[in-house]
Amino acid sequence: MTSTTDGHLAADLDERRAGTSTPRFVAGKVGGALASLVLVVVLGFLLFRMIPGDPVATMTRDRPTSPEQLALLRERLGVDKPMWQQFLDYFGGLFQGDLGTSYMYSRPVADMIGERLGPTLLLVGTATVLAVLLGMWLGIRAAWKRDSAFDRVQTGVALTLWSVPQFWLGLLLLIATQGLFPSRGMRSPDVPEGFVAQSLDVAWHLTLPCVTLLAVIYAQYMLVMRSSLLEEMGSEYLTTARAKGLRDDLVRRRHAVPNALLPAVTLVFLQFGMVVSGTITVEAVFSWPGLGLLTYEALRGPDLPLLQGVFLVLAGSVIVMNLLAELLYRVLDPRVRAS
Amino acid sequence: MSPLLELRDLGVTYATGDGEVRAVRDVNLTLEPGETLGIAGESGSGKSTVALSVLRLLPRTARVSGEILLDGEDVTGMRWGRLRAVRWSSASVVFQGAMHALNPVRKVGEQIAEPIRLHTSLAEPKVAARVAELLEQVDLPPAKARSYPHELSGGQKQRVMIAMALACEPGLILADEPTTALDVVVQAQVLTLLSGLVAERGIGLVMITHDLSVLAATCARIAVMYRGEIVEQGPGSEVMGRPRHEHTRALAAAFPTVGDPVSRFAPATANPLPPEPAREEPDADAPGLLAARDLRVTFRDRDGRAVPAVAGVDLDVRRDEIVALVGQSGSGKTTLARTLLGLQRPTGGSVLYDGSLVPTSSAGLKEYRRQVQLVLQDPASALNPRHTVYEAVAEGPRIHGLPGDERELVLEALESAELRPAETYLARLPHELSGGQRQRVVIAGALALRPSVLVADEPVASLDASVRGEILGLLLRLRRELGLAALVITHDLGLAWNIADRVAVMYRGQLVEVGSVEQVLLEPRHEYTKSLLAALPMGTASAFERGV
Repeated sequence: MTSTTDGHLAADLDERRAGTSTPRFVAGKVGGALASLVLVVVLGFLLFRMIPGDPVATMTRDRPTSPEQLALLRERLGVDKPMWQQFLDYFGGLFQGDLGTSYMYSRPVADMIGERLGPTLLLVGTATVLAVLLGMWLGIRAAWKRDSAFDRVQTGVALTLWSVPQFWLGLLLLIATQGLFPSRGMRSPDVPEGFVAQSLDVAWHLTLPCVTLLAVIYAQYMLVMRSSLLEEMGSEYLTTARAKGLRDDLVRRRHAVPNALLPAVTLVFLQFGMVVSGTITVEAVFSWPGLGLLTYEALRGPDLPLLQGVFLVLAGSVIVMNLLAELLYRVLDPRVRAS
Repeated sequence: MSPLLELRDLGVTYATGDGEVRAVRDVNLTLEPGETLGIAGESGSGKSTVALSVLRLLPRTARVSGEILLDGEDVTGMRWGRLRAVRWSSASVVFQGAMHALNPVRKVGEQIAEPIRLHTSLAEPKVAARVAELLEQVDLPPAKARSYPHELSGGQKQRVMIAMALACEPGLILADEPTTALDVVVQAQVLTLLSGLVAERGIGLVMITHDLSVLAATCARIAVMYRGEIVEQGPGSEVMGRPRHEHTRALAAAFPTVGDPVSRFAPATANPLPPEPAREEPDADAPGLLAARDLRVTFRDRDGRAVPAVAGVDLDVRRDEIVALVGQSGSGKTTLARTLLGLQRPTGGSVLYDGSLVPTSSAGLKEYRRQVQLVLQDPASALNPRHTVYEAVAEGPRIHGLPGDERELVLEALESAELRPAETYLARLPHELSGGQRQRVVIAGALALRPSVLVADEPVASLDASVRGEILGLLLRLRRELGLAALVITHDLGLAWNIADRVAVMYRGQLVEVGSVEQVLLEPRHEYTKSLLAALPMGTASAFERGV
């Protein structure tokens, strides 16, 4: 029994933990996301069938209609078919980009969502980018000077704004700015042609809804950045960095912040989907022609195909963003690559 | 010529919520170029504060008094710019790299290059060459520069830390617990490497650790710190061989020399040990109270390959005996313990308790686990921080529905774990207790069920030197007074020498050597046992006697 050699010992000490290969990891995550997406489709379909009330009766509530007309309408909308067949029609249609036809507007739902997607992305994208930049900058400063006046005031302000209802803040801003910015819509009718003029006009309209959204959502980025940086600040590798003779701001920029950023990045992506669904009130207040306003309109119907389509897009965006977060995290954190 | 480092009346005070805490008082130390000095002490003794104060790395709440002369220049009075220039180029630090001293998201080559770029004007291609050269000096292949810290083993990370410390060719290296959390074999390799490099280059070394035997092996002079003061200072052999201060004796006794008859069955405890009761000569053929027969546990890794963690183990723990299961991390000893407790399903073989197979039904397992209790390494995380001592100890009897008055049971268990008077501990929360007291509460929780076997996984590894002996003394006393059998899992051969009757040495999932403590530790037959013994910083007493 003398199988032990130095070679063996050295091999023991040199074990490297090999991670999953990247294609396999990506395939697994994408597969998981697709499965969630199918569940969302099924759930969306069932959910809106469970809403009480007859859509045909709702559509015709203000007009006298004969039973023949009602039957005709039912047939045209496809609600006379059995539930399973309705689902198969709907599911099959999805693969051709067909989300059904709106009851109220008699237009393809896919087209309507397509029109509204741009304005929402513009609003949510701008607000998120600004909120992330502002939140992280404030979070880093607050953590680095923990318990300072700056830290206390900024944390307090952020938390207050976070707890304010969006519509209320929107209305307040409208009153406070006294007509400095337009109160509704995305474009003015009398703006000359040309990219620059048009862009400026959109930006002018964008200001208030964007500020409203930004003010409410930046707190979470700030607080996550602050707490994750605070957690890193006790780390020994920062003492190593200081011992090397690095300046304080280099210690922070090169060593502390990259580590603290990891949880914050995940949050940014996870929250993006939530922020999209959260724009309903802001878009309603400022009549911003986006998905939120569309949802609001669809709810008044209720316009089932439209609601179903919006639900699918909103839930789908959460899933896609979640997937992106996981893929990005793998790029950012070498430890995730290994385990 | 001025000394390399001179501390004059160094004092450090921390401002805390409850007033000022004097962490370091009146410390005077001198280090000439090329000298090695060891500072020993347990956690809270102020030894790390001394090391960090040399480069002014203490937190803002610390106030430093006295003088810290580095190459004759007072560090305490330096401007920030001068201080940053001195850091790492005059004195560098080897932290406990095995843990978190390296930035987890940057490649180690980058981290080694960072101080080179900062302190020298070396051209970029030369920086890369210098990093490769440094890695070679610490016996790592230069390709490791492209690795992230988590891809390296603990020993390799520590080598990276040493390479980093050498990067700017400083005159002084401060090593703060450089080998804690490393296995004995790796510890020996790292210590040899560090002392070799330091001696070769004439670098002054200050080594800080709680383990006196590490210092004795590497440092010419040793200073012992206790409660912020240096209580003893002198040549290494003298401090180790003839400790004058009481605390030095406690530190030295905590790391007993294997083979020294004085420390056999004599852990460093203040309470007297009961005499050895008359024990029957065990029947070597009968299975023990707790026994494993050809036990196998195989895990599957990500690619579906079989990884044997426990590969055919036969082990007996008899009534009235303490068995030490020794091996380095990754040897499978914790998996073996988990399987014995029924926490891990074996792939093959069997576990026997009192001669019969351990049941697999949940009711049967519950009854079995009352008999065989587990004590974990870290009492701080083994106890629920919101549960009082009473609740922590009473939980087991409640789950098992033990008859009798609950309060009586708890008091009795606390008494057995030597928390006296037991009443005063009932309402306390874990954070109000010291590390040693917490571990006693964990043991009391196990004793409350009146088990017949304790399985203790590294029961003293996270405890301070002076507390270690007390906990080991408790285990020995429980065995002698109550006949409680124990399987103690450890990487520490000195612990086995201190309290165990028999030793089982585990290597790569197999027991390569099992026998009485004297037989295995003094006349090892297997190569692996020999390499473990050879890696002990102090060697063994028998080696001393032979004049090796």
